[in-house]
Formats: sequence, C-alpha cells, structure tokens
Amino acid sequence: MFELKPTINALMRSKLGAVLLILQLAITLAIVSNAVSIIQDRLTYLNKDTGYPEAEIFKFNALNFDKNLDLLQQVELDEQSLRDLNGVIDATAVSSVVLSGSGSSGGMQLKPEPQESKRVNMGYVTGDEHLLNTLGVKVSEGRDFTEADVVVIDESDARPSVIIVSRALSDELFGQGKGLGETLYWGADPLTIIGIVDTMANQWPKSSFGTKTAMIPMIRVGNFQKFLVRTEPQARAQVMRQIEELMLASHRERVISDVTGLDQKKARYDAKDVLMMRMLMTLIVVLVVVTALGVFGLSTFNISKRTKQIGTRRALGARKSAIVRYFVVENALICSVGLVLGGAAAVLLGQKLMNWYSVPALSYHFIATTAGLLLLMSLLSVLMPALRAANISPSIATRSV
Amino acid sequence: MLDMKAISKVYQTEMVQTHALRDFNLHVAEGEFVAVTGPSGSGKTTFLNIAGMLEPFSGGQYCLDGVDIGKLNDNARADLRNQKIGFIFQGFNLIPDLNLYENVEVPLRYRGIKSAERKRRVEECLELVGLAGRAKHLPQQLSGGQQQRVAIARALAGRPRFLLADEPTGNLDSLMARQVMELLEQINREGATIVMVTHDPELARRAPRNIQIVDGRVTDFTLYQGRSAETPLAAGG
Repeated sequence: MFELKPTINALMRSKLGAVLLILQLAITLAIVSNAVSIIQDRLTYLNKDTGYPEAEIFKFNALNFDKNLDLLQQVELDEQSLRDLNGVIDATAVSSVVLSGSGSSGGMQLKPEPQESKRVNMGYVTGDEHLLNTLGVKVSEGRDFTEADVVVIDESDARPSVIIVSRALSDELFGQGKGLGETLYWGADPLTIIGIVDTMANQWPKSSFGTKTAMIPMIRVGNFQKFLVRTEPQARAQVMRQIEELMLASHRERVISDVTGLDQKKARYDAKDVLMMRMLMTLIVVLVVVTALGVFGLSTFNISKRTKQIGTRRALGARKSAIVRYFVVENALICSVGLVLGGAAAVLLGQKLMNWYSVPALSYHFIATTAGLLLLMSLLSVLMPALRAANISPSIATRSV
Repeated sequence: MLDMKAISKVYQTEMVQTHALRDFNLHVAEGEFVAVTGPSGSGKTTFLNIAGMLEPFSGGQYCLDGVDIGKLNDNARADLRNQKIGFIFQGFNLIPDLNLYENVEVPLRYRGIKSAERKRRVEECLELVGLAGRAKHLPQQLSGGQQQRVAIARALAGRPRFLLADEPTGNLDSLMARQVMELLEQINREGATIVMVTHDPELARRAPRNIQIVDGRVTDFTLYQGRSAETPLAAGG
C-alpha cells in the first residue's frame, strides 16, 4: 500500500536531493533541540521566584562629599526620614543590592579557618534589623534580627554573632531541613543561624550559588552608601520621584544616583539572557522556515521533474490519493533518516555545549518533541506540492513533451 | 468492448474554442486490432486519451465493456483503467528510478495484488517480451526497442482485455518496430483487443482494421486480411 520498497530503491538510485534534505533536517534538529533546551532553561530561571516583591522595592546610592559629616548619624537620619515617608513600608542601608549582579560573596564553612571543612559559596548582604522587612522576606524558621544583633563596624573589633540564611545555604551546609541554631564560620568568625528564609536569591541569581544567600546584621558606613526601600505596591514610582529632594533636604553635599526599581535591576542583570533567548528564537524560526522551504522546494522540484512519471502512474491506475501517498511516504522516509541522524547529532552537540558553556544537559524529550514537530512540519510542507501532483492529468502521459 | 456515440471534445481557452472531436462514433468489438491513423492535429491523441479515460469528454456517451464512463468519478475511472486497460506509449514512459521488475510491477501494486502473485506475473510478462534476464536493469541501460518491450510487459501485467497503443513504434528503428509489431499481433491473437494510433501507413496496414480521423471525425475505414466489411463500425459524418 505504501510502496515502501520501490520508493526506497528509487531514493537510493537518486540520492543527491534526499541527502541534502537529510543533512538539513539533521542540522536543524541538532541545533533547534539544543536551542529550545537552552531557552527552556533560561525561561525557568527568568520565571523563578527570587523571594522578593521586586516591583515594590527600589534602591539608590548616596555619594557624600562632606568630609566632616558623621556618616553613621547621617545614615540613621536618612533611614528614619525614608521610613517616615508616606507610602514607604521600610528602608535600610545595605552593603549591596540583591539581584543586581554586583556585591559581596564568599564561603561559609563548618569549621573556622584555617581548618579544612566543608565550604559553600554564597552571596551576602549586610544591614540592620530592617533588612528582611525591607526585602519583603520572612523567616520560615527561627527569628528575625533585633536591634541588639546589629553590629556597627568601626574601629572596634566588634563582629556579628548571628546570621540569617536561605534554605538552600543551610541545606547545603547541614543537610536537608537542618541548620537552625547551628554555627557556621565566616573565615574564622563563628555565626549562629537564628533564622532560615525559604526563598531568597542573592546578587547573582543565575550563578551556581544564586540561591545560597546570607543576611548579616552589620553596618559598615562609608561615603558611598546604598539604600533599599520597600513601598506600598502602588506607591513606588511616586516615592522614587521624591528621593533626591528628600535626601538633599537632609544634607546637600552629596549626590543621589541610580534610583532604580529592583525589577529593573534584575532586568538589566538578565539582559544578556533575554538577548540570547531572542537570538536563539530567531535562529530557530530561520532554521525551521529554511527547512520547510527546503522540503517544499525539493518536493516541488521532484514533482516538476516527474510530471510525466506522475501522469504515467495515473494512466496505469493510480488514484489521486496514491500519488499524494507516494510523495508523503517518500518525504517521511527522508525525514526519518534525517531525524535519526539529527537526534544523534543533537546528543553530541548537547554534550559539547555542556562541556564548553556549562549549559544544562539536553533532555531527550526536547529531541523527541523537536523531531516530532519537524516531521509534522515536513509533512505539511510536502502536502501542498503532493496535492498539486495528484491533480496532474493522466493525459500528460501521451504528450510527447 | 469500446462504444463511443456522438463523442465531442472541446478545449476552451479565454479566446478560442477548439473542437478536437465532433460527433465521434466508433465501436470496437472484443478481440479486434484497430489501427487509427490521421494527420497531425486531427484528434488521434484526443481520441486515445478519451478511450483510455485519461481525460474527460465534453459530450456524447462512451461505454467501455458495458460501463458508462461518463457516470464514473475519478477514483472509479482510475480503478477501471487499472483493471481493463493496458497502455503502450510512444515514449515508453518507463519510470527511470525503478528497475524493469519494479516498472512492470507498478500497475499491479495499484490493484493491490499480493507480492507473490505480483512476482509471478511480472516474471511471466518479462519472459514473454524476452527480458526476464534483465529484470534488475534500469530503463536507461536498455535500447529503445527493449524499453518498449518492457512497456508492453507492463501493459500486459495487469492482464487487460483492452490495449491502447500510442505510436508504439514511433521512436524505434525499423527492425525494432517490426519486433514490437509482431509482439502486439501475438498478443491480439491471444485475445486482447488492441487500438493502435500510428502515423505509419505501412504499420497500419498490418492491422486487420484501419480507421482514419480527420478534423475530429472518423472519415474512413479499411478492412484488411479478409475481414468482413460488416465488422461493426460506425463512421462519423
């Protein structure tokens, strides 16, 4: 019914067009399945909950030029005036801004340095007892910082003694569900975990340690100071507009800069990923369109080359459906070979990409899904030329040209 | 076997209407061998196409083996063509990507005949035309005469009762033409009805019955080899 054997034999005797199409399909499958896998991975990352209500939070910088200014007193004054502002839920001075791609990172260990012990990389942010509330996160175990926990780093040797960590960091250090009340070491300094937050991304959310975050109750003031502010959901834009005036009203010899929403910070941090995704999507569309045109073109060429043959087949008793079936089966055979080769190429390419660029391992279901869609696209591309072929009159068989 | 009554065929373009056949009447009885001659553009190929159900006619009635062709849809015409008619084309029309065996097998596949039976028939027909030893060859590896013999084998494979030959020796030298003609005569002696369109008057004279088409009408007929003048024939006016 499907004339498989003569179709295969005919293809083997006239290989060039089929081989080119097989190569095109194989390359398309290898590239598209890997590109889709990378896009899926990036989409998962972009849609991942950071733990913060990003649209309600903004940051700004204050750069002080007044050498006589009492920096600690000014920071406390600024924090208070921010918290008093209409629409503001909380505010705090911070060492760095989460989700921004910039800040401080290090290793937390189970034993003090220089002893050898398990060490886990993490990103940390320092601030006062308002830090968690300003970031809009809550501890799921333990307690939040109190004023008594906060240490001001100045010329004294005072060091913080407590820490709040993300669930990912405590699980990695102490095992699943453990960590509260345990002591970890930041260099040689012991810190007791007083609270655990389930979801709390650090400054580099797409890094391998992007979910391993520590909050340290510590204030280290300087001429360049970063602030975080959380507002009522609808009030952020209005509050952001007032910041410069508010800060300068308190002290004029400074520059207020980079008043930016946390969601915008993250968007800038993710810009390369979004660009890469768009480029990959463009690549996919181009490859799929070119492949569809290839299938369409080859089928059209084959049909115009075989017009007389099709007329002869019709004269010998082929129904129109048999002509359509012939071209569809021929195309399906070519596709099958191309997709099998492409599947193998996709696995190899996936392994190479994983080694070279640390992209996630290619899941086989991406290959299977892409192959299925390519087969469908290919069959749809051949259908129109095949239907046209079926309409070739059998009388063409008796024409001499 | 073949019965055409007042058949007409009009080719219509935006500007011109061309009457390829007008009031065309012909009866061919079972077992006859009819040669159809006529000048270029007289309507021979149109007649052949309509007789073989390769194209529709504009008016009249055409019955093949008692079946009114005008009432059949495309699928039914394809099936009837496959079952009743064997075609021999001037250009042989072998499928270049298929070997001789596969070429002869084509009409049998469309009929849904099982593989073992197909094999038997293909080998039998290739044997008949003297090409059994070259079943795996491709058409382009054969001479013109050999290709036409393959085309005859293909036409016979379905065991049709009606063979339509369009200039079957037109592309062959005289020796090959004679061999092909002898083969057709043998097939006719074995009971097949043959209608052969040809330009060659000498070849036409070898057929027991000749008809001539001029301007889309049957204008003349001649009987050779002692056949009776009462052989059923209706010549159009």
